[in-house]
Amino acid sequence: MPSPQDMKQRIEAAIPGAHAEVEDYTGGGDHFRATVTAQAFDGLSRVEQHRRVYEVFADEIGGPIHALALTTQVPSTVPSN
Amino acid sequence: MSTQPSTPTQPEPLPMSSTQSTPTPTPTPSDGSNPIREAIAGAIAEHDVILFMKGTPEAPACGFSARTVAVLQALEVPFAAVDVLPDPRIRQELSALSNWPTIPQLFASGELIGGCDIVTEMYESGELAQALS
Repeated sequence: MPSPQDMKQRIEAAIPGAHAEVEDYTGGGDHFRATVTAQAFDGLSRVEQHRRVYEVFADEIGGPIHALALTTQVPSTVPSN
Repeated sequence: MSTQPSTPTQPEPLPMSSTQSTPTPTPTPSDGSNPIREAIAGAIAEHDVILFMKGTPEAPACGFSARTVAVLQALEVPFAAVDVLPDPRIRQELSALSNWPTIPQLFASGELIGGCDIVTEMYESGELAQALS
């Protein structure tokens, strides 16, 4: 059974420069919510961005991972003060 | 009350909720053709907006499918719906075709719009109304 911490590390290892937050939102170890921020998403459609994350877990989705709700984003340019 | 558009009454191996037909399991032929995948591709091509979901729009069997239906109904977009649950091969073939592992999957004009998260995000930003118009 994957843990949120394990999933976070796997996403960050698979997508260079990514920052991931993963939450087990039912506490049951099988429904997860992830927010992934990565410069590598720049120029990709939302569908392509989500595919990049789904690919990390390939066969586990529909198996041990019943649900993986995703929010993907490109890091916003924070104006420096 | 139904938001379903009228669908052709030709024999259809997919459990389209708009036709009320009983899904007929199709035996896998030995000639290498893939009737389920072909039926899925055909349904995606035939319908401007089509949702592959768990359950039906009237009785969704999963919260993500329910939320996606609710978004489409809020936009008053007519859509066809296919229940993937009666035959596990529908989900297998759909995911192989779309390169998308989860259900629901929304298609418009033959293109995958996304799953529940993307549909919800695009609804909230107003992009979905544009994409489906």
